[in-house]
Parts: sequence; structure tokens; C-alpha cells
Amino acid sequence: MELTFAGADGIIILSAFAVIMLVIGYFSGRGEKNLHHSLSGYYLAGRNLGIIALFFTLYATQYSGNTIVGYAPSAYRTGFSWLQSISFMTIIIGIYLLFAPRLYVVAKRRNFITPTDWVHHRFQSKAVTLLSIFLMLWGLGNYLLEQLVAIGHAVSGMTGGTIPYQIAVLAFIFVMLAYEWMGGMKAVAFTDVMQGIILMVGIIVFLIGGLYLVGGNFAEVTRYIHEMEPVKTAVPPTEVSINWFSMLLLVGLGASIYPHAVQRIYSAQSERTLKKSFSRMAWMPLITTGLVFIVGITAIMLYPGLDTVGSEQIVGMMANDIAAINPFYYWMMIIFFGGIVAAIVSTADSVLLSFSSMISNDVYGRFMNPHASEHRKVMVGKVVGVVAVFLLLWVAWNPPGTLYEIFILKFELLVQVFPAFVLGLYWKGLDKRAVFWGMLFGALLAGVLTLTGNKTIYGIHGGVIGLGLNFVICVVGSWLLPSAADKPVEEEEYQTLRSKAN
Amino acid sequence: MKEKSIKEPIRKKWIWVFMVLLVMAVVPWYFPSAAVEPFIFGFPLWAFISLIFSIALCGYLSWLCRTQWNLVEDEEESERMKEER
Repeated sequence: MELTFAGADGIIILSAFAVIMLVIGYFSGRGEKNLHHSLSGYYLAGRNLGIIALFFTLYATQYSGNTIVGYAPSAYRTGFSWLQSISFMTIIIGIYLLFAPRLYVVAKRRNFITPTDWVHHRFQSKAVTLLSIFLMLWGLGNYLLEQLVAIGHAVSGMTGGTIPYQIAVLAFIFVMLAYEWMGGMKAVAFTDVMQGIILMVGIIVFLIGGLYLVGGNFAEVTRYIHEMEPVKTAVPPTEVSINWFSMLLLVGLGASIYPHAVQRIYSAQSERTLKKSFSRMAWMPLITTGLVFIVGITAIMLYPGLDTVGSEQIVGMMANDIAAINPFYYWMMIIFFGGIVAAIVSTADSVLLSFSSMISNDVYGRFMNPHASEHRKVMVGKVVGVVAVFLLLWVAWNPPGTLYEIFILKFELLVQVFPAFVLGLYWKGLDKRAVFWGMLFGALLAGVLTLTGNKTIYGIHGGVIGLGLNFVICVVGSWLLPSAADKPVEEEEYQTLRSKAN
Repeated sequence: MKEKSIKEPIRKKWIWVFMVLLVMAVVPWYFPSAAVEPFIFGFPLWAFISLIFSIALCGYLSWLCRTQWNLVEDEEESERMKEER
């Protein structure tokens, strides 16, 4: 993404953003004596996130820099069928409605820290817990890797190469690690407020600038596309519709079950706060992916005939042209690109925090040193988080062939914990052995399909096919296997925060 | 004592039936290939209808969150009131 307009001004804005993030991180951690001595204090902001912080942290986590830099080119290449990006981001809230209300109550009552706490509580099985930890850590690691690489490209692109890729990544990682270290989830959520606002305003100004470039007439753009590339306005063929359904399933199930997303359910101050945040989030696809979609469509007329590699540059090209309109647009574009960097950082920080919490609570606290103090567990999570970031950086800079290919797997593996979560919440008969084998075979099938280049079959994603197998094994296995009555399922009542068992 | 009004979305079948219908309407599998013109606000006919259903899905989910979900809110609110006193 080459930008000719930024350079020194880009460095000024990025430095300003970095300083603001550090200041927010400092004030989030200041005066909070218990923050670093309590898992829920550090990783869940003391389960006390109010409506504004919770909404923005959900927003900034779900929409990353890729929402703009990656989705606009997708709209450019696929045309109007990329409208699917609105629906697949919306349906995530529908999937939350399946399990979030009940999970919130259980998590609050049982003081859960990580998603694995639920899996452990429900199945009491080392095998299921370990496998779900592995799948989630793998997915999170991959997700983090993507964000780190994206930060480097965005910053070096924005400063016209003045800040080289490696320095850019290192500088922003330092900022991210510093504020996260100082304030934990509280710092992540408060920086998300700033990052989310910049992203929202930036997208709107970018769209206005884009429409200005095409003479303000979107209908004219469509007529042009219809004449030049009718396939982009045509009714999508059956395979595209199947792929659209598959995307709804894959993104809806996958993104709602992201460990960092689940932890935001745990962090809510109250049920009222949580449902208000979700209620607002339901509208966000329209003003985020929806507007980016229009940007991508507009680019078809502005920059016709680009190939795949060329189309990946359209956000940068358009930003250059918008910046040339007048000084207002110039500065707005610099802030917008800073916003893209901020959006990537805001996703990376949430993923890193979730990764560290699973190391602290699940790997170290559950299996290695169950008697460790909470302070020690928090410290282990922080230190391992830093080590993991630098290991991932090493992978990003020296991609070791096949290992890099294996890192492609993200959604495909993460989504396999879905049955354990949702079926486990509602079906007492769900057997832990069936869950284990379902998760394992589902992940293997999805992994093999993806790694052999069969990302989709008849438009259906490998992750969805794996998940289908996973569900079948869970259901059929639970019916066939004799009830493993080694531990009776506790009666839970989900309409009160007080547990009968306590 | 006033009885709690408990609402959990998963227990209400109509919520999910209607959601599936909306999703089915969002995906343009049912359009004949001629449904491109007229263009409405710059959208091909099929895309415009799909967009309308997408907006309806946003509104429906937002409304569900606010009105069809109430497990422990009353309990939490009364706790909060007690603390404030």
C-alpha cells in the first residue's frame, strides 16, 4: 500500500497515537493495587466494563485493519455479491444470542477467567480441556501473527517507507506490550475506545472522499460497472450463494467463539451492559463493512482493470487521490491511516491478552503449578505473552516453509470448540468422549482440507465441513456411548447468580 | 414480591424461525438472473433487496438483544439499588 502523501506527517500522527495509547495504559493501571495480583482484575478489568468501554472493545476487537485494507479489494474483485460482508458480520450477534445470556450468568457465578474454564467445568476431562486449549492457542497465535505482519505493512506503507517494516513492527509492539503490561484488559478496553472512534470517523470521511472523486453519483458507478463488467452486478450464481451461506456459518460461529470475544462476555459489568452493547453492535456492520463495500465498488470505476495484486493497493491509491483534494482531506487521510494502524493494534492487543490469560490460568495455573499465587500466574502470562510475540515475529520474518503454511489455520481450528460450548450449555447428555473425538476429527478434517488447498468444496468452507463432522460425532457418540456416570452433572439454575451447589 | 420476567432467547422458537427466514432472504439464491435492473439508489435490484433484508436482520437482532433477554438483570439491578442506598 504505497502512499505518496504521508511521510513525515504520517510519523507525527503515528507518534501522537502511540503516546496517547501509552498515556491511556498508564492511567488505566495507576492506583489499581490489585490489578497485577488478580487474574480477573488483570484479564477481565475486574468484570466491571461499562457500556461505552464494553461496546468499543467489542467493536475494535471484531473490526480490524483488515476490515478496510482487505475488504475493499474483495468488493472490487467480486462486485455486489460482497454485500455478504454486512450479513456475515451481523450474524455474529445472532450466534451470541444462542449462548451469551446463559454463559454470562455461569461465568459470573463461577468466576471464569478463560473460555477453557467453562469447558473444564462442564466436562471435567483433562483430554477435552487440553485439546480445546491447544486449538484455541493455535488459532490465537495465528491471529496474532497476522496482526503483527499487518502492523508492519500498514506503518511502512503509511510513512512511504520512511519507517521500515521491521522497525515499524517493533515500535508498535513495544507500545502495545507496554500499555497492556501496565493496565491489562482495562488498558485494552480504554485504548479500544480511542481506536474505535478513529476507525469509525475515518471510514466515513474516506467514503465521502471516494464519492467526491466519482462525482458524487453512486448510480453512475453502478451503470458503468454494469456496462464494463456485468458479472459484478449480475445475480450471483448458485455456488456463490452457497459460499455466502457457508461464510455466514463460518464467521458467525467462529468469530463469536473467539476466546477474546468470549472474555468480553465475562468482563461485562452487568447483563444490562452486555445486551445494550450487543444491541448496538448489531448495527455496526452497516457503518463499517457496508461503507467499505461501497468504497470497493467505487474503486471499480476509479481504477478499472486491476489484477488481484493491483487491487490490493486500492485503499492506498484512493487515499492518495482523496488527500490531494484539499488540506482537510489530506489531514483526514493521515488520521484515517493512523486509524487503520490503531485498529490493527486494537485487535492484536485483545488477542495477546487472551493468549496470555490462557497461559496463566489454563496451562500454568491448571496443569503446571495449581498452587501458585494469582500474582505469579499473572506474571507468567505476561512474560510468556512477550516471548510468544517475539517468536511469532521470528516466524513472520523467516517463514520456515511448511510451518508457515500450517499457520494458515485459524477459524478452521477455533470453530471446532463451538459444540463443546453451545451443546454443552444446553444438553446434559453430551458426553465428554464424544466431544473430544468430535473436536479432534473436526479439526483434522478442516486442517487437511485447508492444507491440501481445498479451502472450499462446492463453495462450503473446510472449517464448516469439519464442524459438521464434529457435531455429528458429538450427537451420535453421546447417544451411542453408555452414560459415563463418573460425575453427575450439577443442576444449574441459569436465572440467578447464586448457585444451588454453593 | 413481583415475579421475575425471565427471558432467554434460546427458549423461544419463533426467534430462530424468523432469524433463519431473514437469513434465507438475505442470500440471493432465489433471484432469477434477470433481476439486475432496475437499479435502485445505485444498487442492482437483487442487491437492493438483499441489502434491505440485511438491514432488517441488523434491526431484528438489535431488538432481540434489548427485549428478549432477561435472566439476571432484575437481580443485578436490585443489588445495585441496595448498594447505592
